[in-house]
Amino acid sequence: MAMNFWQAQREAKTKTALYIGIFIVLTMIAAALAEAAMRVFAGDSYGAPPFPYVALGFLGVTFLVAGFNYMNYLQSGGSYVAESLGANLVDPNTHTAKERQLMNIVQEIALATSLPMPPVYILEAQEINAFAAGTNPDNAAITVTRGCLNLLNRDELQGVLAHEFGHIYHRDMTIGMRVAAMIMGFFFVTYIGLRLLQGASYTRNSEERRGGNPIAILALIFLVAGSITWFFGSILQAMVSRQREYLADASAVQYTRNPWGIANALRKIASSHVSDMPRNGQPFSHLYFNEHSSFWARIFASHPPIEDRIAAIEGGKFDIQDDPFLNKQPPPPPV
Amino acid sequence: MSTLLITFLVIVLLLVLWGIGIYNRLVQLRNQVNNAWSQIDVQLQRRYDLIPNLVEAVKGYMTYEKGTLEAVINARNQAQNARSQIEQSGGPTASSIKELAAADAAVRGAVTNIMALAENYPQLRASENMQQLQEELSSTENKVAFSRQAYNDNVMLYNTSQQEFPAVLLASTFGHHPVELFLVEDKEAKKAPKVSFS
Repeated sequence: MAMNFWQAQREAKTKTALYIGIFIVLTMIAAALAEAAMRVFAGDSYGAPPFPYVALGFLGVTFLVAGFNYMNYLQSGGSYVAESLGANLVDPNTHTAKERQLMNIVQEIALATSLPMPPVYILEAQEINAFAAGTNPDNAAITVTRGCLNLLNRDELQGVLAHEFGHIYHRDMTIGMRVAAMIMGFFFVTYIGLRLLQGASYTRNSEERRGGNPIAILALIFLVAGSITWFFGSILQAMVSRQREYLADASAVQYTRNPWGIANALRKIASSHVSDMPRNGQPFSHLYFNEHSSFWARIFASHPPIEDRIAAIEGGKFDIQDDPFLNKQPPPPPV
Repeated sequence: MSTLLITFLVIVLLLVLWGIGIYNRLVQLRNQVNNAWSQIDVQLQRRYDLIPNLVEAVKGYMTYEKGTLEAVINARNQAQNARSQIEQSGGPTASSIKELAAADAAVRGAVTNIMALAENYPQLRASENMQQLQEELSSTENKVAFSRQAYNDNVMLYNTSQQEFPAVLLASTFGHHPVELFLVEDKEAKKAPKVSFS
């Protein structure tokens, strides 16, 4: 039973909205708890002001840093990311057979999605991987590895490219960047707390106030609230990212009406052990078609396990151990 | 002014605004349909341009298949005629779009024949020129299919918007009529493709 891609897309979108909602609620709760903690622990030195200054300060710092980071991300289009990884632009009028095929497929999917034709890059790596970068369809760029061209057949390559177009169509890069910017904001709040705490421990507190040093308490609250939101925010960020991957897989099936193309591409990745994406690309690994989660724990992984993705596309269960496509070796001869 | 008059004027104003809204939406959708059609047109033209190249490439090898080659050229010329007629008349009509669909199906059938025959000529199959043509033809095939999908989606949206209440009261006054879908007509295309594992 192949997937019902419309329903799969709806589910992924609903879950994204749910996780983003939790993310926002989490931020608000952290701000409210920070305010409450300050009122309880700082006592008279903070008093009971009419405005929740601590909560507003927490939110203010987070959003300020997030906004700054986001503006920074927006500066760089997809071509910038591709080139900073050392990928080379493919000449639209290329005569190399493989590159010609690549450009043809990109044109096909651009027609199927009614999106503009993005610049296409090739990264000289042997593993099968690809990514779309950019903030909107007009500055997006698609990069595929040399491994994609060498190891995938036409249908599989079409599936991978349709997946990347799915990310462009649903503006996943923008969603990812906004969440990443918020996480950066939480990180910065934690950092402020840490620095304030260091500063506060050096300040001699001569006048003994009831309820302790308000700066030190504020620092501690920022440190705790910041790191908790940072930690759980990162998990939610990964959960959102994984849903967007399912969404892009389902979209690829919608555009190509061919579940086997992308499913078999994922199979080839699952059975391959090559991993040679450039080191300096680590900050962009969430954009990749596939991510090797060797050192990230699974809860922080930006991509779902490949087996789950294949199972979602083809329906049923996928087991790499007894997959008929992968295990082509003949059964052992009878004794 | 009496309250009655003001109420009356407000209602008239709302009706006019509502009419403008429907008018603009329908114009926008019609332009989308026309744009989608021109995408198909570009791809069909490309297919018909590739066919003389294909014939040129296989001619030297397939000396005994003259009939097949003539058939593909004839089919191509007919389809090209149907295409340019639509272009000259400023857009597809119900009958001309069916004619083109049938002619285009004939072209596809003839090309499939040549490709099947080409399997018998290993030298031809291995030639770089032939491989390039094969890639271009199958990519164009996909592009025609994908742009047809987009065209049909747009047509469906345009037609539905005309038929919905209350737009149905105004659509034909504004000169909008349902547009024909571009469907695959022939029996060949509806049959499951034959796959051989060799």
